[in-house]
Amino acid sequence: MNSNIWVLMSADSVALATTLILAALGALFTERSGVLNLGIEGILLTSAITSFIAADSSGSIWLGLVVGSLLGAVLAGIHAVLAVTLRANQIVSGLALVIFGTGLANFLGKPYEGKNIETKILPLSFGPLTDIPVVGPVLFGQDPITYLTVALAVGASWYLFRTRPGLELRATGDDPATVDAQGLKVSSIRIRYTLAGGAMVGLGGSWLMLAESAAWHQAATTNGIGWIALALVVFASWRPIRLIAGAILFGFTLQLPFTLQAENITFIPQAFLQMVPYAVTLISLIALSRPGSSNALGAPRALGTPFVRDER
Amino acid sequence: MNLPFRLAFEQRTETPRRLAVMVPLLSVLAAIVAGGIFLFATGYSPFETYSNMLSDGFFSSTGITDTLGLSTVLICTGIAAAFAFQMNLYNIGGEGQLYLGMIGGAWAGLFFGDRLPGFVMIPVVLLVGAACGALWIALPAFVRARLGTSEIVTTLLLTYIGASLVNHFIYRAGSYFRAPNTLFPQGRQVPDSAMLSPLGDTTMYPTFFMVTVLAVFLWWVVRRTEFGYRIQVISDSPRAARYAGISAQRTTVQVMMISGALSGLGGATLIVGTFGRLDPGIVVLGYGYAGIVIAALARNNMAAIIVSGILFAGLRTGGDKLQISTDTPIHIGVMLQGAILLFALGGEAFRRYRVRVVRAQTATAQGAAQ
Repeated sequence: MNSNIWVLMSADSVALATTLILAALGALFTERSGVLNLGIEGILLTSAITSFIAADSSGSIWLGLVVGSLLGAVLAGIHAVLAVTLRANQIVSGLALVIFGTGLANFLGKPYEGKNIETKILPLSFGPLTDIPVVGPVLFGQDPITYLTVALAVGASWYLFRTRPGLELRATGDDPATVDAQGLKVSSIRIRYTLAGGAMVGLGGSWLMLAESAAWHQAATTNGIGWIALALVVFASWRPIRLIAGAILFGFTLQLPFTLQAENITFIPQAFLQMVPYAVTLISLIALSRPGSSNALGAPRALGTPFVRDER
Repeated sequence: MNLPFRLAFEQRTETPRRLAVMVPLLSVLAAIVAGGIFLFATGYSPFETYSNMLSDGFFSSTGITDTLGLSTVLICTGIAAAFAFQMNLYNIGGEGQLYLGMIGGAWAGLFFGDRLPGFVMIPVVLLVGAACGALWIALPAFVRARLGTSEIVTTLLLTYIGASLVNHFIYRAGSYFRAPNTLFPQGRQVPDSAMLSPLGDTTMYPTFFMVTVLAVFLWWVVRRTEFGYRIQVISDSPRAARYAGISAQRTTVQVMMISGALSGLGGATLIVGTFGRLDPGIVVLGYGYAGIVIAALARNNMAAIIVSGILFAGLRTGGDKLQISTDTPIHIGVMLQGAILLFALGGEAFRRYRVRVVRAQTATAQGAAQ
């Protein structure tokens, strides 16, 4: 029963959702502080290849995860300096990061093209629990990072809405002038959360490499997951718990083409199946839009606007 | 984070002219230096790499014509991006609109090829390509104007859908666009009447001149016409535009559709020249994405895009030939594009603000008092 393709697919969707949750959570923290980082796709890709190289040369997956996350923070740091310190156009800066990251990742990944990694992150086994029909593989057949990710999202929700630093973070994104008047440093808060967000995205990219695909296929490794993650943050109206539900839904649509192909369901051309995740994301974005301001959705009010004290 | 100093930004009321020229030049230079350090660290010779790129991209007879040939499509995607960016509309799906332009152009070439004479065919292919590009942005443009849906994400998602569409037309057996008897799936060549001949023995096509004239024309439209003025007012102050009775919704749709059409036109130039068929390789070339960088570096100035477009084309032709002549991966070219843009953005701060390093005296003074 548990080898049924649809059960396997649901389990895989939860797995794929891991990268989506991590990337979207990173974007969420960054955006909550008022910084828009569109460079997610570039960070994902670069951390994927660096984690691969680190894990491949050291033989340690965990080192790979650490290196990938650190690299995510470094790339996000470039964005933080440009967007927060130098007050550059955040949209263009994020796009530059995508282009730079894609080039860098492909450059570094050239010798590793199509190469497989020796050891992958393996799923945990909870013995009899994993054998429960349907629920077993989906809930109890995942790897440690997936469980950590769900815990991280739940923790993030508590942090954002129940703690003092969380309140300060939300205030920085909504009304930086007030935060400044409180004697807190807006730029320092924004830089910190941009870095932390980058590290989360980096972890997501590393996990995608070391657990999911385990082989480097240039830009096809991430294939737009970073952009879907950005849409997911809007979909979840900047709330971590809703992110989990959204990520599983999008994970399912990303997994669908592979499953149908494996099942030899061919009446829908493969190319159209590949469009499904992007189309679903597109339609849900449009469906969530309302005329007027985007604040109705719960977007941080100062999102994308640099804070300039002198001009107050 | 208590640093002993901080940066003070003083807004410039007026930007010195020399800075407007120096900043882009210095950012290109800084990116090249940073790239050189990176090349050195990864075990490649920076001097050899750069001198190869320069000579292959600009200073050899085939290099310069290859560069100008490639710049044709890049100037197209550059003006496409800039046209939307200047109104703060971030159409970053130029890549997808380019695919659709190529699909549309190939379709027109194949369908009308034997029915119309050459001098009618070329404009038809180009126009159908542009129309398809505009069509691909119609939904994002409409929902952006009506519902405020972020065009950034919607145009980008449509790029992935466009890439699948290209693959579908190439890899599906018996597809109208597919060449019937090739070992590897490949697009069907359009008839000769739908293609221009290159300039002499080069890879450069007359479309280069068409695109340059178009860029200068758009520069004029932006600077000198009522339509261009409307765009400026909306981007400077949406509120003032509303009081003046300018419909931001309508202008949004118009500007985005024009932007999409220009990218589509870029795709169609690849049909009348260069490829002459729907080529599956287009989805990895990233010409549309490069347009974003080209536009940003030229600060959305349509005429300056001709220069930055040629510069980037040179970087790419030089980078592409690197892998053949040496063992350096071609991706160094793309990496440099990103790095140049990052440095240009950083440099922008020095153009807009007078940046000074000040000692954080107030903080220490307070600390001493407590």
